[in-house]
Amino acid sequence: MNDNNILKGGAGTALLILSALIFLGSLVVALGNLGSQGHASFNTSSALPWGQPIATYLYFALASSGLGLLASLPLVFGFKQYYPVAKRCVFLAFIILISGMTVLALELGNVFRMLWAIPLNLQIQSAMFWMGVFYALDLLFLLWKFGKLDAGEWDSKTSKQVGIASFIGVLLASGNLALIFGMMSMRPFWFDGLLPIYFYFTGVTSGMAALVFFVYLAHGFNRDKMHPAMQSLMTGALPKMFAALIGGTLLFIAARAITGLYSNNPEINIVWTDYLFASGLYHLSLWVGLLLPFVLMLNGKLRNQVNVQLLVSVLVFLGLFAERFYFVVGGQVVPLFKGTWYPDLIAYTPSVTEWALTIMGWSLAFLLCVLGEKFLNLSAMPDAIAKQGKVHPAIA
Amino acid sequence: MAKWGMVIDLDKCTGCQACTTACAMENNTLPGESWQDVLFYHEGEYPSGQMKWLPRPCMQCEKPSCVYVCPTRATYKDESAGGIVFVDWNKCIGCKYCMIACPYGVRFYSDEKPLIEPDMRDIYPGQNKQLWSPPYQNPKEDWSRGIGIQPPGVVSKCTFCYHKVSQAPEGTVDFDEDNPAVKEYVPACVRTCAPKARYFGDLDVPESQVNQLIGDKHGVRLKDHTGNKPQVYYLGAGAAVPAFTPADKGDKS
Repeated sequence: MNDNNILKGGAGTALLILSALIFLGSLVVALGNLGSQGHASFNTSSALPWGQPIATYLYFALASSGLGLLASLPLVFGFKQYYPVAKRCVFLAFIILISGMTVLALELGNVFRMLWAIPLNLQIQSAMFWMGVFYALDLLFLLWKFGKLDAGEWDSKTSKQVGIASFIGVLLASGNLALIFGMMSMRPFWFDGLLPIYFYFTGVTSGMAALVFFVYLAHGFNRDKMHPAMQSLMTGALPKMFAALIGGTLLFIAARAITGLYSNNPEINIVWTDYLFASGLYHLSLWVGLLLPFVLMLNGKLRNQVNVQLLVSVLVFLGLFAERFYFVVGGQVVPLFKGTWYPDLIAYTPSVTEWALTIMGWSLAFLLCVLGEKFLNLSAMPDAIAKQGKVHPAIA
Repeated sequence: MAKWGMVIDLDKCTGCQACTTACAMENNTLPGESWQDVLFYHEGEYPSGQMKWLPRPCMQCEKPSCVYVCPTRATYKDESAGGIVFVDWNKCIGCKYCMIACPYGVRFYSDEKPLIEPDMRDIYPGQNKQLWSPPYQNPKEDWSRGIGIQPPGVVSKCTFCYHKVSQAPEGTVDFDEDNPAVKEYVPACVRTCAPKARYFGDLDVPESQVNQLIGDKHGVRLKDHTGNKPQVYYLGAGAAVPAFTPADKGDKS
């Protein structure tokens, strides 16, 4: 059924070479600058210690979790229409997480020390300790689950158990990642007990954007080349869910913006008035990156067009990347003390090295994805679904 | 067991920054890596405008949020060292989460862009795994407590000059720089303070000078609402830090 995957042919090889070149180029720039200047090649500072590399990691980690949750729709909850994308979801979740972790590794001051210092010191009070535990489990379960699906085990008892374990692993990993920010009461812009819910939701939205893009890429942006069951999904349940996810994301942002603007607390209020809403790029990401896609997806005809779905997936992908950036930086831009003669927000623009890390992450994800499409059968689905061709909504 | 505390009398502080300089000299910190600095700020407008300043060391909190978030126990509160919060540079992975979690902004990641040119790290390139190696160095280097010059990629902070304080005779309660018997053990910022605005001693001894000052002069702790419970207390007017207002917005009050 995968004969129509254009990435298995020459186009895939070309993309593979291109993404490998971009990956190697950005890696050389990043490692060269880190080697010669250390983290002084970042534009972060002691006043604003977490910059774009952290936002990139956050973006990838949550997109991965989102894909993991999407995969659980058919594998855990029995939404059978989603079977045609289940295997690709699991694969993308794995490689996107690997890409994010690679970016994070180059952001840390002493990455190899982490390998022994975190497990040996067992600081269970630290959310970052649990991030290591849960994301390691998440990776393990994703790999295991992929192994099961690759072996054609869709419905075996073990396969289902691994699916459930993976689903729980994803919830724990991304929920805990949210609490790394959400538990910081000294950083009021982030402090939010419900932040895990926000991260789950927006994570699924970014995962969906990645899924739509890569599904079309694999089929040469031509829906006719897809298996009928996948065509049915891409013109039925999936775009509707994508629309709902974007709408929900906008609601979450609106709720955070309204409470932030209403608050007198300058560490929240000023972040919205003087940083987020004062930035043209933030407006662009909000209106063009999220609202425009939502409006497009509300229209039943537009929603099912290949070009619209592709445009929406790219816009949402970029829009949510900006959201992650402004979320991470926004929590730090108000100085902890008024200080200085000319109090102002802390300025931060990513450096060349930080951009190189971001591009490295993206190109690595792309590279691994093309490799996967080339050598694995990511469009596989259970025989019953494949033979049936089209999944009738009634049995889903 | 002692519990080291500091008292800073803002009515006596002149904002001269001698403490900042003494700390930098004592601990070989880079420009900008001010383990102890003095913040200046102003509030209100003429004719009732105020000018304030606030010396800011590490608060060595009783409930240090930086310690709780550290994934490797690199940063830890050492009760056997009077409750000082240290960073073990052998364990720090440079994730900077402690800098996010510290409400007081007193942690430093010196592997960052230099505050001033020329970059001291280029003038005195690092040797023996040090980030930089100036000709004069504090002889009491102890990386397990974050004392001395750090390696690259770790977080540094004020140590209450533990390398000095720990040498004091057993049972020392008041570290008065005017007392010849203990003056060598007084933290650098306290010893250098010309208007004698800083005091250092044992918070566990009710009769200690620091406790008496806190009691008599209504000592307060900065950002007490965070619950971190600093072991640094402020006396006098000026300890109330005004809310942040960007300069171009003027004073909303």
